[in-house]
Amino acid sequence: MAAYLARRGAISLVTLLAVVTVAFFLIRAAPGGPFDGERRLPPQVEANLRAAYHLDEPLVKQYGRYLLMLCQGDLGPSFRSKDFTVNELVASGLPVSLTVGGLALALAAGLGVAAGAVAGLSPGRRLDRALTLAATAGLALPPIVTAPLLALVFAVTLGWLPAGGFESPRHVLLPAVALALPYLAAFARLTRGEVAQALTAPHVATARAKGLPARRIVLRHLLPTALMPAVSFLGPAAAALLAGSMVVEEVFALPGLGRHFVQGALGRDYTLVLGTVIVYAALILAFNLAVDALYTRLDPRIRLTR
Amino acid sequence: MPEHGVARRHRARRWGSLGAATLAACLAMPVDADEATARTDLRIGNGGEPQTLDPHRYNLRLEETILNDLFLGLTTFDASGAIVPGAAASWSVSEDGLTWTFQLRRDGQWSDGRPLTAADFVYAFRRLLEPRTAASLAHFMYPIRGAAEVNAGTAPLASLGVRAAGDHELVVELAQPFPFFAERLIYPTGYPVPRHVIEAVGDGWTKPGVMVSNGAFTLHDWRPQARVALRRNPRFFDAERVALERVAYYPTSDANAAYNRYRAGELDAISDFPAGEIGWLNANMGEHVRLTPLVSIMYLVYNTTAPPFDDARVRTALSLAIDRQLITERVLRSEEQANAGLVPALVPGYQSALAPATARPARLARARQLLDAAGHGADAPLRVTLRYISGSESKAVQLAIAAMWKDLGVATTLHHADTKTHFADLRQGNFQVAQAGWFGENNAQHYLDLLVSETGDVNYGRFSHPPYDALMRQAYAEADVARRLALLAQAEAVGLAQHPVTPLYSVTTRALVQPRITGWIANPRNVHGARYLAWR
Repeated sequence: MAAYLARRGAISLVTLLAVVTVAFFLIRAAPGGPFDGERRLPPQVEANLRAAYHLDEPLVKQYGRYLLMLCQGDLGPSFRSKDFTVNELVASGLPVSLTVGGLALALAAGLGVAAGAVAGLSPGRRLDRALTLAATAGLALPPIVTAPLLALVFAVTLGWLPAGGFESPRHVLLPAVALALPYLAAFARLTRGEVAQALTAPHVATARAKGLPARRIVLRHLLPTALMPAVSFLGPAAAALLAGSMVVEEVFALPGLGRHFVQGALGRDYTLVLGTVIVYAALILAFNLAVDALYTRLDPRIRLTR
Repeated sequence: MPEHGVARRHRARRWGSLGAATLAACLAMPVDADEATARTDLRIGNGGEPQTLDPHRYNLRLEETILNDLFLGLTTFDASGAIVPGAAASWSVSEDGLTWTFQLRRDGQWSDGRPLTAADFVYAFRRLLEPRTAASLAHFMYPIRGAAEVNAGTAPLASLGVRAAGDHELVVELAQPFPFFAERLIYPTGYPVPRHVIEAVGDGWTKPGVMVSNGAFTLHDWRPQARVALRRNPRFFDAERVALERVAYYPTSDANAAYNRYRAGELDAISDFPAGEIGWLNANMGEHVRLTPLVSIMYLVYNTTAPPFDDARVRTALSLAIDRQLITERVLRSEEQANAGLVPALVPGYQSALAPATARPARLARARQLLDAAGHGADAPLRVTLRYISGSESKAVQLAIAAMWKDLGVATTLHHADTKTHFADLRQGNFQVAQAGWFGENNAQHYLDLLVSETGDVNYGRFSHPPYDALMRQAYAEADVARRLALLAQAEAVGLAQHPVTPLYSVTTRALVQPRITGWIANPRNVHGARYLAWR
């Protein structure tokens, strides 16, 4: 297992390097540069500015310089936010995205699996049909629709929760719900299908034939195997939720990583875009690795060797 | 702010405006329990995140809004936007208009208690123009003698026409007469910066707890994408009359989010709201709505270097087909002002020399003749691509224009891109006809400079018309304001007769401001210094 994880870790690093490389050259290919306004700077000023950020060097040399910096954990100066470094911006945005995303993940996985299990244990009944319908609706409605609706109803009209900002735990609730809804629905549907199928699985039938109490059958024999797909979904879900959502952060004015990314991309802030992309990529790779490791704990049939 | 296109506004209006009282909502924000004592804090949605709070490196209107509260230039503006003395108590101009002498306030000081002297201003002007500072708006100070050369690195810093005559007298020499210099000084490029702090800590001098400023407020806290918090500066010369203790600027880049936060009582003023809400707001929250015409011009620019728009007849035809009233009254519908000239009608003292427009049917007939003559008759209809900045409001305008041109048999393809891409295309001449805009100063020259052949990049269409250039040169050399304005009006008429651009309208900023705030006076600059605001 340790060897497997080491191997996967190495592959992840190579993937990360590929992401950095592609992003590095792609953002530089976008029209317009970080210092372009409506008016061109006097040539001397522009030359000084470009030199200060090493933009006057050949692209390959810039790339080498960037990788070297990266190895030292330095994401460089932000081209756009002139008073901050990218490290400072990531450090200010990541905790916000992690907090909101963490709560969203807990909501999505917790409530989603619970609802899916309840529905799956009584397939075809009224409760099952209602939950399935709700889950389908949840999947169909992306945060770009639900987030403004939640803000309008719970913040503007009812005044129960703040409409935006990141100043207290109350500020996290609405964005976390908006972010969680589609994933909650996905967890519910995944779990419902597996639970319903597992009801007829041989090991569950055997347990039943042995006269075990229903509670024990569900908790010991049925759920662990039925949860496998939900667990594998945990990886991509965690990566998507924790890395911060550009839409939800914009709607709820959250100072998270997604907002830095959008503003950076629009302003051609090369280093800020690269910095956020690297953090996103690293998160996704890390979660996928963690989920692989989790498999073995849940299902004894899986052995991670190669 | 000059030289920062209005065109951006169609993506996100960025200028700030200030405001007032909040519904005491049941939210996490501290709420005044005691209604009898007026609140002393203000929360403003400022349209976006500042990229810097260094007055010499700033570039955006929303940065200007914050910097206006933190710093004070030689001149400044009052609550109604009029130019008034700032760090200088008074000034005089020599007869030839070339030497400006400023008498600084004796009680001027930095927020750390150091006296503010003429030497601080000499340092500041030199720092702004030094190439190493890489100030993108350094050209604001090019009227100063030697400024352009110093900024280009071809002349030493000491050759700049700014010197201190004692602690409280500053002498500025100009390269040519520039009667609008007092107005030019209200922008952050003319602000003093604390040499003693910058030389001690370098680039980190704009951090909270480090920054020393000389305005009505000081920087207390700055969390990126969350807020910039200011505190009243007790050492400000007029601190007694500053009512607010705390001012916070929120980076409301999304107009819908800002609008929600305002309605939920989390913000006291926002610099923009979604255009579609205007009807509901007027009916239900009319006393909150502030529509302010801004000195600005939106226009279409033609690429005069390539067919078909190298032919003035084609440009004239398309210009004639435009119905400005229809755009402002039926498409935009938030009190934008149709403007046939390149100089906004709000510019004071300026008399346009343009002939009044004739009725549209007559104009269309004339336009068809011109197109026929240029070889774009019914058998060879003109096809053009119109570029604009992404955004629904902006798209509606371009669609209306395409429909107006269709009346001439012109087929228009619309092409949109984000701001950076749009202006990169314009600068490289990679366009036929495109949306553009300009705002900033309250004087005619600021707008007419756009069509001077030496202007370079922002003369996007590369318009070059020697009679126009000659009139503008005459105007530049004229120290008498009235004669200068007359020359400018003549130039405008001569230039626009060639239709290098089609002026469309002046924009109107739309803000929401709590009605209980006082001191928020509508003005064409749309500046509302926090030092003038208070809760009722």
